[in-house]
Amino acid sequence: MGQSLDFEFIHEDKCKRAVLLFHGMTGSPFEMKKMGKALYDADFDVFCYCLPGHGTSPINIKTVRWEDWYTDSTYHYRELTQKYDEVYLGGLCMGAVLALAIAAEYREVRGIISLSTTLFLDGWTIPWYNFLMPIGVHTILRYYYSFPEREPYGLKNEALRKKIAALQKRNTEALDNYPMSCIYELLKLSKYTQKNMFKVKAPILLMHAKEDDLTSPKSAEFVYKNTGSSIRKYIRLEDSYHLVVMDNERDFVFEKSIEFLNSLSNFAPQNYNSASIIFESEGL
Amino acid sequence: MIDTSQIYSIIHQLPVSLISIIVTNVLLILGFILGKLLLYKYENAIKLFAYFSVVISILFVLYFVSILWFSISNLYLGNAVYAAIFPIFLFLPFITGHFASYEKVHFYTNIQILTLIISLLLALSFI
Repeated sequence: MGQSLDFEFIHEDKCKRAVLLFHGMTGSPFEMKKMGKALYDADFDVFCYCLPGHGTSPINIKTVRWEDWYTDSTYHYRELTQKYDEVYLGGLCMGAVLALAIAAEYREVRGIISLSTTLFLDGWTIPWYNFLMPIGVHTILRYYYSFPEREPYGLKNEALRKKIAALQKRNTEALDNYPMSCIYELLKLSKYTQKNMFKVKAPILLMHAKEDDLTSPKSAEFVYKNTGSSIRKYIRLEDSYHLVVMDNERDFVFEKSIEFLNSLSNFAPQNYNSASIIFESEGL
Repeated sequence: MIDTSQIYSIIHQLPVSLISIIVTNVLLILGFILGKLLLYKYENAIKLFAYFSVVISILFVLYFVSILWFSISNLYLGNAVYAAIFPIFLFLPFITGHFASYEKVHFYTNIQILTLIISLLLALSFI
């Protein structure tokens, strides 16, 4: 089942630039599809694969470790570098952390789109008993406990939220809860990435919702301040929650992502006006 | 025949921290046994396990506080051995958690229960 969720948008004419997208924790490539389509329309070949443990039964996600996500992602990244002159990374939530972790190791990453980067779980929907998390995460309890996903499901757009709630009742690709063991692995990945943040030299575009329900802008600010990239841009979104690729400002997110990637690319379309892009750091 | 008044007088003489260690220990053991029995049967009952885990976590906090309280008060009273033994049990849940995996969750839950039983027996030996 997991394999069928993967998508590859490849142009018939040989394209020289590719974007590898990573979906979020307990999510699936489905959530990245619209962004993938937008990037494809902007002359990028786009790839997104289901991360290990995702897209199958809820039990599988409890058996994976962050190293499995990382190994699988780097495998796909290396594969793309054999075929394309320019490979960019993009990710949402945990996918953004993975993109950063890969960029810390592979200096040849051409650019990163980091959306709703989840280094810290401190959003406003995190339950009141969050202070017990160290006990829940570091003891055997992590195999018993799951954060039930609740409204607003990462979406400010109410119509979309209703759709997602209905989909979750039918239990499709995405899980309706965050298993604590998965959070434990995310926190370990986050720790690794934070430690290696200074090694990230690739240009980076950060986009984070001001009202992100799962992770506050603190995560994006941390990346912005600690990354070794000389080209970095941070856009704070005013009308979205966590799932910025599906929410109210998704078109803006796609537009800014394409603009940013084109500004870095040697193969940008001729009608593209690179002068309109501001390279200097902005945002904080 | 059990003389209940004698039991009451023994309990009254015990330090509150030791009573707290014993009570939280018993509740944790029962909680983990219950969790073990329910885990696979009701795995999709996310809310049930969420509340269960919150209760167990709170019990763990009380257990840790009781241990610290007991150890510090014994250190203050000059009972260095008493003070030194219990803090070991502060780390055991985390050590067990470090090595645990989903595939062996029952095994590691048994280890957790075993360490709690040892800590309970130790606490009872102080009576």
